[in-house]
Amino acid sequence: MTRAVLVLVLALAAAPAGLGAQGYRLRLDLRGQAVSYRGVALDSILASDTVSGVGGGPVTPDGIAAQCVPDEPYCSFFRPGPTQRSDPLSTTADLTAWGFGISGLSLHVLARGGADLGDAAVSWPGTTPALQLLEGYAEYAQPRYLIRLGRQTQAAPIGFTGFDGASATARDARLGLEATGYVGWGLADASALPVTSAALNPLDDFQPVERQLVAGAAAGFRSAHFDLRWSYERQVDRRSDYFVSERTRVDAALRPLPGWSVTASGMYDLAQALWGNVDLRLAWQARSDRVDASVGVSRYRPDFDLWTIWGAFSPTAYRSVDGSLDLVPWRGFSVHLTGQAYQYDPTGADAPLVDVQSSGWRFGWDGSYALSGRWTLDAGYHAEFGPGASSRGFTGGAAYAAGGHVNLSAHAGTLDRPLEFRLDDASVWMFGGTVDYRPAGRWSVSADATRYVESRKRPDTAGFDWNQLRLSARVSLFFGSEVRPGGVPAAVESMPEAPR
Amino acid sequence: MIAALLLLLVQAQGVGPDSVRFDHAKHAKLFPSCVGCHTGAARAGAPLYPDSAACAACHDGTVERRVHYVPPPDSLRTNLRFSHLAHQARAPQAQCVTCHQEADTDWMAVRLPVVRRCLDCHGIRTAHLEAPDTACATCHYPLASATRLTRSDIAGFPEPPSHRTQGFADGAHGRLAEAGAPVAASCATCHSRNFCLECHVDAPERPAIQALAEDPRGAAIAVTLHAPGSHADPDFLRVHGAASRLPAATCATCHTRQSCLTCHVATPAVAQALPAAGPGRGTGAIVTRRPPPWHTAAFTRHHAPTAATAAQTCAGCHTRSDCLECHRPDAAGAGAYHPAGFLAQHPAAAYARESSCNTCHNPGQFCVSCHKSAGLVASGTLGAGYHDANRFFLLGHGVAARQSLETCTSCHVERDCLTCHSALGGRRFDPHGPGFDAARLLKKNPEVCTACHGTAIPTQ
Repeated sequence: MTRAVLVLVLALAAAPAGLGAQGYRLRLDLRGQAVSYRGVALDSILASDTVSGVGGGPVTPDGIAAQCVPDEPYCSFFRPGPTQRSDPLSTTADLTAWGFGISGLSLHVLARGGADLGDAAVSWPGTTPALQLLEGYAEYAQPRYLIRLGRQTQAAPIGFTGFDGASATARDARLGLEATGYVGWGLADASALPVTSAALNPLDDFQPVERQLVAGAAAGFRSAHFDLRWSYERQVDRRSDYFVSERTRVDAALRPLPGWSVTASGMYDLAQALWGNVDLRLAWQARSDRVDASVGVSRYRPDFDLWTIWGAFSPTAYRSVDGSLDLVPWRGFSVHLTGQAYQYDPTGADAPLVDVQSSGWRFGWDGSYALSGRWTLDAGYHAEFGPGASSRGFTGGAAYAAGGHVNLSAHAGTLDRPLEFRLDDASVWMFGGTVDYRPAGRWSVSADATRYVESRKRPDTAGFDWNQLRLSARVSLFFGSEVRPGGVPAAVESMPEAPR
Repeated sequence: MIAALLLLLVQAQGVGPDSVRFDHAKHAKLFPSCVGCHTGAARAGAPLYPDSAACAACHDGTVERRVHYVPPPDSLRTNLRFSHLAHQARAPQAQCVTCHQEADTDWMAVRLPVVRRCLDCHGIRTAHLEAPDTACATCHYPLASATRLTRSDIAGFPEPPSHRTQGFADGAHGRLAEAGAPVAASCATCHSRNFCLECHVDAPERPAIQALAEDPRGAAIAVTLHAPGSHADPDFLRVHGAASRLPAATCATCHTRQSCLTCHVATPAVAQALPAAGPGRGTGAIVTRRPPPWHTAAFTRHHAPTAATAAQTCAGCHTRSDCLECHRPDAAGAGAYHPAGFLAQHPAAAYARESSCNTCHNPGQFCVSCHKSAGLVASGTLGAGYHDANRFFLLGHGVAARQSLETCTSCHVERDCLTCHSALGGRRFDPHGPGFDAARLLKKNPEVCTACHGTAIPTQ
């Protein structure tokens, strides 16, 4: 992949001046953070060295609960791990160039460079490899069709599928019809790396030796009141010629009356003959824009590729009902309420020794009040209870538009995070501030500093306090052949007039 | 009489900061006729106003006190198409007092001529500002020809009642202007092309506008571009694309391509039907890019079906980079999707699948790598006691695993599970649950089966 980026950069640099693009847009986002995190460290102790704790179980002499197995000489326990520091830096470049002498031809590159300048022993997620090409394709666009060639992401309803290959879309805007097909060598799910990359396999698990072949198709119909789209995608292991995944999905949206909409979607896993995620939603928005409400029922079931064994473990789905309400009681004041309750399907794996919840719910509200043109206050609360982990907490903040394109804000929050499967309840306070400067030009800068005060609360002495200051800064730079920072390319300005 | 009219005009406008005003009534017994002083009203080439020497004949400091009188210019700041000589030639019976004096008043009780008098003589039966379109040019020059009028004069033009009627600003004014091909004369009386350019982007394509002369002073008349009633419909933003393609669409009246491209950055072709901003065109409507009303907080969570069925609608405002900002996040950057402090909150969100983590985060690259650094991954024999809320968790983890398998895989790899769940060794616990279709899986990818069963794959 790194080679692909280099080839692309060299090709751009080597382009003769005469073929230089008439227009381009380049956005650079430079981001840096300074964070630390702290986990746990597995340790062991001779069973004979443990003592009896408050509850009668074995603990280390310094009070940390230990796990002892009968007839085993050693007991294991987790002591607080060392504080680790990460200073991740990243640069994302988004380049679009056009005007190569062929009307409709353009070049798109979205690349990212990253590095972690913190402790050598750790690596912030996403910083390896240092250079990643998210997208890099040539596009030929005409009103009735579009062709892309190169590394691209197919934003199909089935998922965001990245691949190196070709895609073609044909459309008839008058009839509202559109059809898409694509094929190529796939990238790993939610990554710009191929599945063979070592960066995706930090634990040295089973890993495919070849990239999968991706092929998909979609067709859609749009109208003023009804939209429909069908999608299909298969991924095949090129070495064995077996399926990695095969899924199809249907999405529909109905707008029977102004302000009312019904959306529905359903995915079916053809490889495992199982229904996947399903969603049905009714939404209403008042003509005044002061009330917006939606209710929905949905089903969530995780998908696993067939070159892992996880699908054979029969992950269960949950069904949920949820609703949300947005209110604007008066100008400048808005409230958002949301709630969801969910229930897992039977797992068929009940065990008498361990009681695991099979349902959960969550609720939250947040409000925003614009005191004036300069001041805005925000507050919110969320609570959720469910199997595995729960959380609840308040957030609040104030933002001040200082003028001169400067915005200042302060925020604070609390969080309690009980875990069901581990005696590790965390309590976190956080407060900080952000400054944002966006001159109406070609650059912007923002910086954030937040103090976290966290207590890992346990009945034994493995609990610890972990306070830290997190810093982040971001600079965005905009370049382009057009003068206007609003993003209107010069080529667009010179487009021929349509016949009148 | 005619001279008196002009004199009054001068009086109304003033003749200079140091000049006295001539009081006609006070001099009533001295002057038997108007044209004795205002000779230009009766004789071509003569000045309309007397010079100061005429006053000094009496106001010499002995007979009368001296006065400082400066005659106004003959050419006044007016757009009146008026000539005393022409009127005198066509209506020799008319006297100065016909227009400049009310009936039955004393000699030289002059006043400004009332417009009504003009209208009556010319046979116009309406109010002044409601005169028929063809009547304006009878008395008035087009604005561009009234070169002595200042911007403030023009800004003070009275607004005709017709301009206040409903719909006049939307389309009625255009129909009125185009009724008098190439442009109604009444428009040209008060307006120049520059006035139209305050709004009209399509000025070069409008013959009526082009028929008006160019005169920057025309912009002195204040005008505000208001969105037509159709734009107030809450659904307008959603349907405006289709409406703009209708034959009767009039978007180009007020919108340039820049209006479209303020939002439609990713699909510049939609703007092709509109003119680009440039000389000779009005600025038109200034469009502000903002989220449509239906992009509420709930929409963020549930936009998938909408985005799936009408991706082109999304593409109207969004580029692919916008999607990838969240759906393939830059882990090293400040995330835009999750709220501040989400790292501390993420276990709960991940367990309950508040959103599908794997849509955006590759478990190996994102979750496992970080959990490995934090000592959270299974690195040795299972049962070390990490899930210490229940000391028998390992023996009864099935429910938790099937409910939150994605979460398990953020710390565990396949070999952890195969320790017990393999037909080839270990405790040979069957991992398959309700709904497992062995035959289907065998057909699609038997390599999955071989991980646990080797070559002895059961068919049921």
